[in-house]
Amino acid sequence: MTGAGIILPLSDQQEFEVTMAITTQPSAEILVIKKTYRERAFMRVFRYIGVRLLTLFGTVVIGIYLTIMIANMGGYVDRIMRNEIRDRITQRIGLSAASQQMDPAVRKKLIEDSIALEEKRVGLNVPIAVRNFRYLSNALTLNLGRAINMTSDSGSKQVRLILLERLPATLLLMGTSQLFLFFSSIFIALSLSRNYGNFWDKFIIALSPTSAVPPWFYGIFLILIFAAAFKVLPFGGMVDSPPPANTFDYAVSVLQHLILPGVSLVLSSFFISVYNYRTFFLIYSSEDYVDMAKAKGLPSRDIERTYILRPTLPNIITNFSLLIISLWTGALFTETVFLWPGLGRTLFHAIGQYDTPIIVGSTIIYAYLLAMTVFLLDFVYVLVDPRVKIGK
Amino acid sequence: MKLGKIYAVLSLLVVFSMLLAACQPSGSDTTGMPETEAPSMTEAPAATEAPAQTSRHGGWLDEIDVSVVSGDSAISQLQAGAIDYFSFGLASDVYPAIKEAGLKTTQSFGSYYGISFNPAVFTDTKTLNPFSDRKIREAMNWLIDRNYVNQEIYAGGSLPKLFTITTQLVEYTNLIDTARSLESKYAYNLDKAKEIIDAEMTGLGADLGPDGKWQYNGAPVTLAFLIRSDGDGTRKPMGDYVANQLESVGFTVDRQYKTSSEAFPIWLGTAAADGQWSMYTAGYIPSGFPRDERALFQQGYLNTSIQAGEPYISNVSDPEFQKLGDDLAQGNFSSPEERQKMMARALELSLQDSLFVWVIDQQTYSPYNNNVQVTYDLATGPESTNVGPYNLRFAGQEGGTMRVGTNDLFTQPWNTVGGSNWVWDAGVMRATTMGTSNAVGGAGLMADPYTGLAYPQRIESAELTYKKGLPIQQNLDWVKVNSVDQLDVPADAWVDWDAKTQKFITAAEKFPDGLTANVMSRVTYPADLFQTVKWHDGSPISVGDFVMSMIQGFDPAKKDSPIYDESLAASIDAGLVAFKGYRIVSTDPLVIEAYSDSYNKDAELNILPLWPASAFGLAGENSWPILAISNMAEAAGELAYTSDKSDLEKVENTSWVGGPSLEILSKYLDQAASESYIPYEPTLGQYITKDEADLRYSNFKKWYANHGHFWVGTGPYYLDKVFTTEKSLVLKQNADFVDLSDRWSVFSEPKLATTVLDGPGQVKVGEEAVFDATVTFKDKPYPQSDIQKVKYILYDATGAVVVVGDATAVADGQYQVTLTSEQTAKLQTGSARLEVAVVPIPVAVPSFTSFDFVAIP
Repeated sequence: MTGAGIILPLSDQQEFEVTMAITTQPSAEILVIKKTYRERAFMRVFRYIGVRLLTLFGTVVIGIYLTIMIANMGGYVDRIMRNEIRDRITQRIGLSAASQQMDPAVRKKLIEDSIALEEKRVGLNVPIAVRNFRYLSNALTLNLGRAINMTSDSGSKQVRLILLERLPATLLLMGTSQLFLFFSSIFIALSLSRNYGNFWDKFIIALSPTSAVPPWFYGIFLILIFAAAFKVLPFGGMVDSPPPANTFDYAVSVLQHLILPGVSLVLSSFFISVYNYRTFFLIYSSEDYVDMAKAKGLPSRDIERTYILRPTLPNIITNFSLLIISLWTGALFTETVFLWPGLGRTLFHAIGQYDTPIIVGSTIIYAYLLAMTVFLLDFVYVLVDPRVKIGK
Repeated sequence: MKLGKIYAVLSLLVVFSMLLAACQPSGSDTTGMPETEAPSMTEAPAATEAPAQTSRHGGWLDEIDVSVVSGDSAISQLQAGAIDYFSFGLASDVYPAIKEAGLKTTQSFGSYYGISFNPAVFTDTKTLNPFSDRKIREAMNWLIDRNYVNQEIYAGGSLPKLFTITTQLVEYTNLIDTARSLESKYAYNLDKAKEIIDAEMTGLGADLGPDGKWQYNGAPVTLAFLIRSDGDGTRKPMGDYVANQLESVGFTVDRQYKTSSEAFPIWLGTAAADGQWSMYTAGYIPSGFPRDERALFQQGYLNTSIQAGEPYISNVSDPEFQKLGDDLAQGNFSSPEERQKMMARALELSLQDSLFVWVIDQQTYSPYNNNVQVTYDLATGPESTNVGPYNLRFAGQEGGTMRVGTNDLFTQPWNTVGGSNWVWDAGVMRATTMGTSNAVGGAGLMADPYTGLAYPQRIESAELTYKKGLPIQQNLDWVKVNSVDQLDVPADAWVDWDAKTQKFITAAEKFPDGLTANVMSRVTYPADLFQTVKWHDGSPISVGDFVMSMIQGFDPAKKDSPIYDESLAASIDAGLVAFKGYRIVSTDPLVIEAYSDSYNKDAELNILPLWPASAFGLAGENSWPILAISNMAEAAGELAYTSDKSDLEKVENTSWVGGPSLEILSKYLDQAASESYIPYEPTLGQYITKDEADLRYSNFKKWYANHGHFWVGTGPYYLDKVFTTEKSLVLKQNADFVDLSDRWSVFSEPKLATTVLDGPGQVKVGEEAVFDATVTFKDKPYPQSDIQKVKYILYDATGAVVVVGDATAVADGQYQVTLTSEQTAKLQTGSARLEVAVVPIPVAVPSFTSFDFVAIP
């Protein structure tokens, strides 16, 4: 996601013409040219922003509509829900002692009325096309609405509260692990690229296939070792039961609970992440200008900062930005294995229960975050890389 | 380079070893594991000591910390000491792991599985549906080896299931001779199944091709088998086994592995005649302790089933079975004896119908550490056991903190009108309540976890009057029973509610021509009830609490009510058809009569001790102030008790333990307190004074300030702290509880009988033979007075039942079976088997044992 196709550097000819114009014209004319250039630049950026926002919005609309369609399985979920409702209510009423001696007609009416009410409650009385449009328009206006079946831990059915309640736990777990992973990977990768071919370089490369193992798998191992066998860390959850009353003890307890899921998330991606960055840095390290700098005898630290890290900044910033917004999604299976009360588990349950508003709510926020990030990155690239110009 | 290779090899070894280790099943090496022992219901659970006398009130424990624990790690957590008890039931395939870990466990009935058949003749006449033929469905009973399924798929931890009624529970026990005879008749017999299938398929016009496969109209007879692949995962191997068996008799099986969401639309959502499916691996979960299962024949087989959909409506049953099933469901019998005969016949006919062929009655297991004592309901598991929290303790110890894990918590908001009914939530709620919350009767009674009957907890006496001719039988002596020719409802009985005037409607007003009922229960409460029973916030219970609960049972169904809720109205209105009235005879002592047309076959379960508890079958109690402020919030359009109404009105669902509700309820509590508000004043004004209102609101406010929630009860534990996001809570002992901690120690453990049968190894055909049966409980003779009956069943060499009879009592725990010369004359020469079934009174689970001998000429 480097903005290819939209971040266009000035061509050599254009750059030359502008430079020549500024340096060869009298001052008044220079001012006019500068003004014209600014106006053109402004219009270019303005036009670019407009087109860019429209494009991104269109992408979000299409993405959300597809999400709704997938969540509803193109309407098939309605059939599933209708049958599930009929079966559940019939069973519930049929098995209740009170209904055993009810007049069959009364009982049948009770069942049918209850089914009709439940179908109405979950919205099955409204045509699916109308429902899909409602979901879409509500999502786009960030009116997240109410869940169909799920509730927040505290009992609310507002999607906003359901998501917000789980957000801190997810941010804590994902933030800690992903930020640690990101920065440690970069620093270690830089170090390895400087010491290409040494013991640690080979060691990390050799271990990089371990990243094929998903984090929840590591999680199970870590639980078996540190919770079941050594009994030094908790099996799961976010805090002791009951949670400690004072803040310090609470924080310590949360940290204890954070270790295993955090480590499993880091462990599963660490080696491949280091391997990726190390390879990336190695490629930049072999550029001609780096060789030139080395030949000039520049200190390796300066070479690293100015000639290797700087050109890679757009990529690193892109990765970092996407990492930040990916925190929103949580870690579906790892949170489930560790009973971590995060957004990943919520989404996991929502998918299982066909709770479309929650799926759409979670997706629209991610979509907006992603669109905003992509949009802002275009400007950030300009700041960190002088070769990049907006809208050209 | 060399070093690099070594590292690479080492790294691969690390990964490989991790993968290998992960592939190993939990627990120890399976190859070294001894064969799992099938836990029989006759096996008594690990012994628990009879508690010493105590002066302690309320629960045995000082504190119970409940948190959510993954079932996958429950055994490891118990072994690691992270929890003391996992209260949610685990599937029977973990039974060997529990035993291997050296843990104790409960054993209760869980879900039950079977095969549902498509009974329709397909619209596409070119396609044959073999299961439209009843005889082929019946033959499936011989084709499936239920014992094999139990051993191989359920680790021997469940019970093979032949009937729609629960295996080895109340109805089964009452029909034990019929049940055992039929089990013998329908025992696995592949040859017999094949013989019947061959004959019927030929009759249907199918041919057995040279490849041994059935052909119809030139195409293989293909069975579309919907096999559930989700849930506990056991239905997939079960489906595969059944498919293999069908293939072995010539059918082509199209195995379609599906999740519930994929299978339901086909199984229930398509017309059976469309032929989109032939079979489905069905599963159900029982509700409550099943003492009366007569309606199951109609529900599970007939086209008059209340399920009123496919595949039931397409089933054409035998007319005799159709009538019998309908009559049983509608109670068209006049005596217990007649009912018994009808049930026995229905059992037989249901197997001939076999719209469902049942396979397994799953047993579920809740493991706990060896120092823990758990009382659990045999039918529904520990979390549905009302007496469970009363008896939960560390063995031989008073006090202590117990850490309990369960599957989930706070799945839905907690309130007693339309709140959470999830078993784990209800399990906690029960610890805060007096007596039975929702299984039987009301909170003045305590449900017997081993028989499903009930005993008085907070009532002084009870009397049942019923209309002569109803098949009601008395089991216990605490209830006085009498019958009358006609039971008139008194004119001043409350039969309905007028939401406008906020007054009860009397029988005289609604039914000026008089009203009759089938049963009347009259309950007298203890004289010191209002002095000794206190809510957790310190307020004494009052008549206002009782009357408020009655009103709450009517008001939401009335359109004039500010708390009208159409989702509650449907069930309330349906209930009113059988409801015939309440009558408060006296308030000091409190005496309440309840009239109804609905009745239970057990006299004890017809006693309706009203209590300030949920009027909607949920666990939990409700003091009148919490209902008052919740109603105020609902009337103001800020909260709604039920999920339906909250969705409709787009307001929060009322929760008494967390979330946005608390702030709203707190606001109305302040308002009610400042106004000395008496809800439904035209009625409750007669029972609640302003002083009582002030006291109750004041105590309730203090409670909320101290505990941060509004959940109060009168039970042996109170809900101290709630942590909704962390999914945990703390229960603490209620030292003010009216009863001593050992109040229900009689239920400490199920008195499951152990039976040993001994006799001659050889019996001469035509000569008398005597066998001795010894019945014990924990190695002591089982008292004769505690044994309902001891039946014997004699099987011949083919496994057919030859004789069924009653054993003779000799002494406590000693019974004798005498086979007369006429009886042994019916035996063929060769092996024979005598089985004894002991039916105890204190537990609904019979004990079986058998003795093999040789019949010689």
